[in-house]
Amino acid sequence: MKYFPIMISLSVLSVYSLAKADSPLARIAPAPEVKLIDAEGEPFDLSKLRGKAVLVSFVYTTCNGSCPLTSAAMAQCRDALEKDGLWGTKVEFVSISLDPAHDTSEVLKMYAKIYDARPESWHFLTGPTDRVDRVVASWGMWARKNAMGVLDHPSRVFLVDPNGVQREIYSLEFLTPDAVVADVHGLLEERSPVRHPARGNGP
Amino acid sequence: MLRRLFAALLILVLPSLAMAETCLSPYVKRLDRPEKYLYLFCVDADAKDNDFVAVIDVDPASKTFSKIIHTVDLGSRGNETHHWGYTDDRTRIWAGGLLSSKIWILDVATDPAKPRIEKVLETIPEVTGLTGPHTYYALPGRMLLSFLGAKDGGLPAGMAEFTNDGRFIRRIDQPKDAPYAYDLAVKPEFNRMVTSSFTPMRNYRKPFKQMDPKDFGTEMVVWDFKARKPLQVGRAGLAPLEVRWSLKKGANYGFTNCALDDSLWMFRGKTDGRYEFKKVADTGPMPADLRQSPDDKYLFVSNFGGDTIQQFDVSDPEKVTLFSTAKIGTQPNMMHVTGDGQRMYVSNSLLSTLDRDGTFWVRLIRITPEGLKIEKSFNVDLTSFPTGPARGHDMLLN
Repeated sequence: MKYFPIMISLSVLSVYSLAKADSPLARIAPAPEVKLIDAEGEPFDLSKLRGKAVLVSFVYTTCNGSCPLTSAAMAQCRDALEKDGLWGTKVEFVSISLDPAHDTSEVLKMYAKIYDARPESWHFLTGPTDRVDRVVASWGMWARKNAMGVLDHPSRVFLVDPNGVQREIYSLEFLTPDAVVADVHGLLEERSPVRHPARGNGP
Repeated sequence: MLRRLFAALLILVLPSLAMAETCLSPYVKRLDRPEKYLYLFCVDADAKDNDFVAVIDVDPASKTFSKIIHTVDLGSRGNETHHWGYTDDRTRIWAGGLLSSKIWILDVATDPAKPRIEKVLETIPEVTGLTGPHTYYALPGRMLLSFLGAKDGGLPAGMAEFTNDGRFIRRIDQPKDAPYAYDLAVKPEFNRMVTSSFTPMRNYRKPFKQMDPKDFGTEMVVWDFKARKPLQVGRAGLAPLEVRWSLKKGANYGFTNCALDDSLWMFRGKTDGRYEFKKVADTGPMPADLRQSPDDKYLFVSNFGGDTIQQFDVSDPEKVTLFSTAKIGTQPNMMHVTGDGQRMYVSNSLLSTLDRDGTFWVRLIRITPEGLKIEKSFNVDLTSFPTGPARGHDMLLN
């Protein structure tokens, strides 16, 4: 029994020695808090998805520019992740409305169907305008009407790791299934015990 | 079905190759209209007053066309204000001083005619261990910067990444056999980044005649962009500066201007994944800037030492030919080609330590099917500010 601590130490050491290198993706910043309402009208808290990778986009349903492309690209990524057996169990998606006054839960529910987005793993979010605005700004995003009266906004999609840290930001042009699948694999294969306490390999 | 719809929509939404601004990061939002404002990064020529940003009206329909309509006092002098770049969403410009290593984050969205300073990053050397911020390259939600030297003004140079609002993310080290740095450019479809070489602050802060000619790099580094890992160190002529990937989809090559070798070099990916580096043309003396036409047919070279701007036809990158030459004035340096490829603005200061003429201006060249034509009606004089002459260097359009 006196050797038990040594065995534990050796076990921990072996985990370290077998560890794969961390993903090359930088730790950009902690993912800001997201507490909004989903398309089912239920409260949603992003932090509840800790332990999974999450792709976070910002779109609005009446957009006829980059938003439908972003959602379509995410649907393609979803298909690729599903094929890899990661969808739902290891990865989920979140899409936050940039036009919450129009995009009610009911509207988002209809929008989600266009992309065959099942609500258990792809969460379309809205809420009171001031609260959504705060969330949007906290992610460094913005939406404002241009001279044509159309909402202008950047097209960025954020990859959040299982510890709630932003690890990659994709622009629409480079949001491809291959890139997302590879990046998600890289994150899930990180073995740092500090960064994955839920896996039980921490001290 | 979804895939085909996505492809069709993508073609409609994204700007076409022939109608987009060149020499910006591919991640920067392009202007969807002709330019109205030209921002000019200015050094107070005698370094007795604060450096500033000048806003020039470049809307031909405006009553103040070709006039300086606003200046932004940067609050300090002797910075050697030099290069800058837009963030991905084009709402901010990151701008830096080669001597002070300060970085100003300018808000150009609230009022494009009157940019304002949002933040000044004053402790860049302490945060990054690097000095001489040079290239400001937008990534989605972030800025990737190259630095010309280490914290002590020597080598090695390096790169660093920040969030758009100025929070440091990480430093990226040069490979040991390529300690110099200058420009960087990314070709996302190949996951490749290429960086170039100049000289660190210990050298560029000296008067030209005192500069050590042996303290300039010739290296170009090919990187795995996603991993930010160096893959290969190649060599070009002395001081390869701007890195310009071909704009054509699928074209795995690009060019650089070697300022102290008076030459144009090409880098090109081979079938084995490695890159070759070879000289493709002689240029005029001291080619200081290199720009591209939106149709990828021409390269423009400003010969700071030869007082000319050359237009090279690079339709066949193996057979680069001189197409046209313009004499726009002394020491032409920075150029900026408009998104329609029909005009090019030119400024004429390189560095306080290298300028040999005190007459500073911004002029305009029309890019015609016959070649470069100087637009004589456009001449912005930079010698008559209340604070005296200013050295105008980098430019951006909005």
